[in-house]
Amino acid sequence: MLVVRLTGDTVRAKNGSMVAYDGRMTFKKLTGGGNGLRGMVTRRLTGEQMEVMEVKGEGTVWFADSARDVSLVRLSGETLHVEAENLLCTEGGLRTGTSFAGLSGAAQGDGLFTTTVEGTGQAAVMSGGPVVALRVSPAYPLTVDPGAYIAHQGGVRRSFQSGAGARTLFGEGGGEAFQLRFEGEGVVYVQPSERATFGGDL
Amino acid sequence: MSAFATAGGTGPRIFDPATLPGDDNVNPYTFCVEMAGGRWFLQKGKMIAYYGRMSFNGVGYGPLDALVRSAFHSPMHAADWVVAEGTGKMLLADRAYDVNSFDLDDGNLTVRSGNLLAFEPSLSLKQSIVPGFLTLIGTGKFVAASNGPVVFMEPPLRVDPEALVGWADCPSPYHHYDHGYLRGVLGGVRSLTGLGGASGEEHQYEFSGAGTVLLQSTEKVLAERATGAGPGRATTG
Repeated sequence: MLVVRLTGDTVRAKNGSMVAYDGRMTFKKLTGGGNGLRGMVTRRLTGEQMEVMEVKGEGTVWFADSARDVSLVRLSGETLHVEAENLLCTEGGLRTGTSFAGLSGAAQGDGLFTTTVEGTGQAAVMSGGPVVALRVSPAYPLTVDPGAYIAHQGGVRRSFQSGAGARTLFGEGGGEAFQLRFEGEGVVYVQPSERATFGGDL
Repeated sequence: MSAFATAGGTGPRIFDPATLPGDDNVNPYTFCVEMAGGRWFLQKGKMIAYYGRMSFNGVGYGPLDALVRSAFHSPMHAADWVVAEGTGKMLLADRAYDVNSFDLDDGNLTVRSGNLLAFEPSLSLKQSIVPGFLTLIGTGKFVAASNGPVVFMEPPLRVDPEALVGWADCPSPYHHYDHGYLRGVLGGVRSLTGLGGASGEEHQYEFSGAGTVLLQSTEKVLAERATGAGPGRATTG
């Protein structure tokens, strides 16, 4: 559950995620993820669809979705990459967009594209179980199971590793045939549960 | 200026390999295993992330033969298990269940097969005679998950099969039925057809002897009932 206190400003939240509010609020659905006409076309084309509403007013709003855990991410100029289904709410000053995630996106079971959040302010991301935030630096790169990946921020390069070989075909695979590798400098968020993924049983 | 707040405070704590605990819980749902060139048996898909250099191989992988011969005796579950080896720190989690590590000291413990995440090869894994359960024998550490915190009980005890996580040191359980079908024809009709209603608690596992029984605080989830929706909206649920 996320609590947001508003004093006349706006936040953007996943459509329909408001569970309660106190005060004077207006809720307006934004067409096409709130990125204007170009963003709407991009989202439609990429399948990274996001139903967003703009919440404006004075008072307190509570947001929640499917009893999932909510974590706050503070951005100061860097970019947060997050799957649209895991993004609950962003501060009015943050910009959202879509970016190409490549093959790794497909392995996460979430399509080839991911949502980006840029600017300065706070965003709320959702996870199945409390997230674990893991720092990545040049000295210690990180490898993540695609089904447990939630988001990452900062100057992190994401690459896709496949350990699948002939043995995978004979049912003797290592169980973690597809992995995401993060290198660079930033933070990666993982959840203690796994989405059903394309490579999940290999 | 809008102010965001959650139960988790201003944001999650950020871990790196130095601050992650070694062989301990990161939070109630995530466990960190510290690997220093050793090996761990791992159930497929329970690893969520790792730092360092590690490899994962199925239990049929040739170089692991000696290890598998000494520590793995569950052909029925062979396809679900891999061996992790290398150095670094590895995070384990399972369906956002509570995870805990347990130490066995020359003991034995039987656990629901889907709830066992990982174990040290100094333990030996055997198929339990009770279907769907695995027995660990020996000395070492293992990690298991439960839906809700584990509750420890002592026999004599009857437990709901779905709430049972495992048991240690006591004899294997036997079935216990409360069926009333020996008490007349109507009781028989009721238990066979469900007519007249059943409590759903007619069948239990019964434990006797000395030992410990591990329970979780969840059973099968009941189907949700519709509570209504606003005009023009389909009722889901």
